[in-house]
Amino acid sequence: MGPRWKGKDSEARALAEPMSEIVQQLQSCLIHSKTRGLLLGCSVLLGAGADCMDLLIRACFGQPIITAEKDKQWFELSLEESFYLFHSLRCLEIAGEDKRLKNEDEIWQYIISKKPAFPYFYKAYSHLRDKNWVVRSGFQYGVDFVAYHYHPALVHSEYAILVLSEGSDDVNGRLNVWSDLKCMVRLCGSVVKTLLVLRINRSDGYLAVSPLCLEKCNVEEYTITRWNPEQCREEKTINKRTGFLFMCSVCRMVSRACNNNAKMRVGDVKYQEEIAQDNGQRHNADPEEEKEKLEKLKF
Amino acid sequence: MEIEDLASSSDGMSDLEVTSKELNDEELQYTSGSIPKLQFKKDTSKAHWNAEMGMAGVIEKKGKMWITTGIVRRGKLYYTIEETLFLAEILAVHMLDVDDTTLFLKDLYEKVAEGKSGCCWETFEVYRHLKSLGYIVGRFSFINQLKTLQISDLRPDFEVYLPNNKFRKSSPSDPSFMLYVTRAHPPSRNEIEELERKCNGIPLKFSHVDPGRVSFFSINRVELPILP
Repeated sequence: MGPRWKGKDSEARALAEPMSEIVQQLQSCLIHSKTRGLLLGCSVLLGAGADCMDLLIRACFGQPIITAEKDKQWFELSLEESFYLFHSLRCLEIAGEDKRLKNEDEIWQYIISKKPAFPYFYKAYSHLRDKNWVVRSGFQYGVDFVAYHYHPALVHSEYAILVLSEGSDDVNGRLNVWSDLKCMVRLCGSVVKTLLVLRINRSDGYLAVSPLCLEKCNVEEYTITRWNPEQCREEKTINKRTGFLFMCSVCRMVSRACNNNAKMRVGDVKYQEEIAQDNGQRHNADPEEEKEKLEKLKF
Repeated sequence: MEIEDLASSSDGMSDLEVTSKELNDEELQYTSGSIPKLQFKKDTSKAHWNAEMGMAGVIEKKGKMWITTGIVRRGKLYYTIEETLFLAEILAVHMLDVDDTTLFLKDLYEKVAEGKSGCCWETFEVYRHLKSLGYIVGRFSFINQLKTLQISDLRPDFEVYLPNNKFRKSSPSDPSFMLYVTRAHPPSRNEIEELERKCNGIPLKFSHVDPGRVSFFSINRVELPILP
């Protein structure tokens, strides 16, 4: 499933103004204006002038706060977003409640005290941001993040992301039971996204006491998708080299044939309409779900 | 596009397209008041159950189901318990015990319950689901595993081929995918890795069974591209 652009010109706009360039411009603008953020709870607030405001919006960092103030636009950034600007892009300074600028260790300790699993979430966030994906909160979908190919105004998000860490001390506690996994896959299908799991693996020497731990872990990406045997019976290609991907095409609208009194010939066995319909009922053919799948195929 | 438009569309709420109406097949069955009718096979093979092997030895082949079902050993065709039960449910095979008395479905279900023939009930439900749709399904074989010295209990359950009227047991191509029937919980990363190692490059899918319902999933390693 490729990116679903909104409108005819969106893809061209994205190519003309690559996200990497916008982020670079934002970086310069914030450094030049010596913008500083304020730690407040689990957010960072920053007041931006006109130039930085425009770039923050286009690069998709933070949410604008609506206020009456005219010469400054206030933004609320998540911990991941603000730490990315502070640590990865080195373009934002951050102050605490005492109005004093905090150093990296102080900021890290503050964030960890608020969100102990932060290293995993930040590793996942920065992993995709470094590849120029736009990463936003996945709160409204019950996931950790959503990832966009470009600005959300111009493209729908492709991936709903869950962050998992290895081992028994998995800090996120997701996908440990089938009901959660099925719920997520079902939800993602309904909103036309693919469930993407970012697994954070720790190597020796990982200690969450400082941002150095980020270098002691790596990210593995997995998609989890539902496979419908009723719809995938004809082989298109098999990628034997990687062995990980299985492509199939809809050869006939099988379930449509079932409902339209057609006789099907499958393999060596000839099925009458009744057995096909019975199989449809027995094996939970869900017309609504099939309709959604057909809609997806149009993209 | 104005900056205000960009700002207001950054939360992605327009992506929410949840369908509100859901067709529940259980509700359908309840209201229709009847159990769906199954089309039975007219050509019925005959087979003897061999308790020692845990398989059915075919003595009379009828119809065409046997072409894509069972394995041949020493010139004779044998069905595993899941193949036997599937064929028996649709009258494609008439099962006999060693003393030529008829084995009914009740007896076959009990054999599955005994658990001595290499297939549990959930694995059978997965087998039946795919077989009914025309897929060609065989038990995972260790032939390809001669190179692997590691022996553990964790291995795929089935090798699956797409429906194919040219399929021949004597010279099958590579399976389209391997299938692992998950037990109580979703597979862990280590389990996925170990299973994939045993697949020798053939894609792996996972299935999960709730009573009477089978669902299938793919878990694929990917790498999102670096964007401009």
